[in-house]
Amino acid sequence: MGMLGIIGILGGIGLLCGVLIFVVFKVLPKEPESLKKIEEVSRCLPGMNCGACGYPGCFAYAQALAKDKDIFFTSTCATVLQEPEMLESLEKLLDLEIDASEMDKKAVVKCYGNSKWLGQYSGVRSCKAASSLAGGPKECPYGCLGFGDCMEVCPVDAIQIDKELNVAVVDPDKCTGCGLCVRECPNNIIELVQSYANIVFLCNYGSLKNIPGRKKCDLGCLRCRKCFKVCENDAIIWNEEKGIPEFDFSKCTLCGKCIEVCPHDRLIELSDIVLKEKLGLLSKKK
Amino acid sequence: MTNLITIFIVMAVANNIVLSQFLGLCPFFGVSKKLSNAVSMGMAVTLVMLISSVVTSVIYNYVLVPYDVEFMQIVLYILVIASLVQIVELAIKRTNISLYNALGIYLPLITTNCAVLGVALINSAENYTILESTASALGGGIGFTLVLIIMSGIREKLDLADTPRSMKGLPIAFITAALLALAFMGFNGMI
Repeated sequence: MGMLGIIGILGGIGLLCGVLIFVVFKVLPKEPESLKKIEEVSRCLPGMNCGACGYPGCFAYAQALAKDKDIFFTSTCATVLQEPEMLESLEKLLDLEIDASEMDKKAVVKCYGNSKWLGQYSGVRSCKAASSLAGGPKECPYGCLGFGDCMEVCPVDAIQIDKELNVAVVDPDKCTGCGLCVRECPNNIIELVQSYANIVFLCNYGSLKNIPGRKKCDLGCLRCRKCFKVCENDAIIWNEEKGIPEFDFSKCTLCGKCIEVCPHDRLIELSDIVLKEKLGLLSKKK
Repeated sequence: MTNLITIFIVMAVANNIVLSQFLGLCPFFGVSKKLSNAVSMGMAVTLVMLISSVVTSVIYNYVLVPYDVEFMQIVLYILVIASLVQIVELAIKRTNISLYNALGIYLPLITTNCAVLGVALINSAENYTILESTASALGGGIGFTLVLIIMSGIREKLDLADTPRSMKGLPIAFITAALLALAFMGFNGMI
């Protein structure tokens, strides 16, 4: 049995398999109508199976969509919203009307990572592992640890860890707002904001009282309410329960007074600018 | 006949694919979180294992052995199993849509699952006839399903149990698997 014989056997069986698949494909009856619609829907989806919509893969999502189109509003595919062409074809296919600007969201990391380390942490390089250890290795238990769990889960590589600040930074141009990082972060630092949101609040210190034994970070929110008091347009709503400012974007005129008045500047920022500044991309901005 | 039954039982429990031969560990941990998924996966693996074992055994006994080219088995088996899965998936999709939905994503997922290939290679190594290969594949598939169902049942309960935080999820699953494997070693006394 020479080399040629072996090649013959392998090639022959390969050819046989190929022909068999072809024959089966041609001979069998066509798939039922219901499946056809699912396949059409799945062709309008991005197909990267990120699972951010809450379904196991794009095909399962397409199945759910074909059955009930209103699912799109409760569990949204963020990538489709980013691509006008995809969105249009899906709208046409499912007979939907989608206001993309309302549903389009971006992730924002609500921390500057300024809090000091309690000691030297030499465990597993993962935020989840570190934060489960006695409230985390940093002074502020709500702060960004910068080990990059969110960076790893991001399907579009929109998150980087800033080496200097040791904090996660989202690139708003790449972010699709899928929300995977929001679920991944053990300290719930990342939040999805509407992409037209022009002001964001960048502290995550969630307790009104100081935590015993832990120092607040130098740049943390003081709960001084100056931003709330200075706003002339009622665009800032003070959340009494959490002690944080919340924004009504429709009333905000971008006057910037709240930014000026904040004793720890940079806590409230124009979102697009702050995101780019953190990335060091400000100079490139048009 | 007794020979076939022995092969079936040995493959199902004593030489269990997952817990004694450590094949197919990826789906064993990946798909054993929910009982319903485990059943679908077990069904799909059993089906593919059965069909592929019969076909590879035919190829082994009537092509590879007569021409004395047994060393080609791995390449050929991968080729044959992959195309078989394609055909089976196509056939199920076109004829029985509810079965297709039940098997779901798992059917294409196991195209080159090592448990499927492993059973085919074991059959060849043991020089099984076609009938014996069928019994062995059926045993392997049912053993895989059995272990997957046991494991998913345990893991569903473990999710509710008060495990230490550092042990939650996979770590405790690994320990459970080790204990299960120890328990399955008891079946070795049967043969």
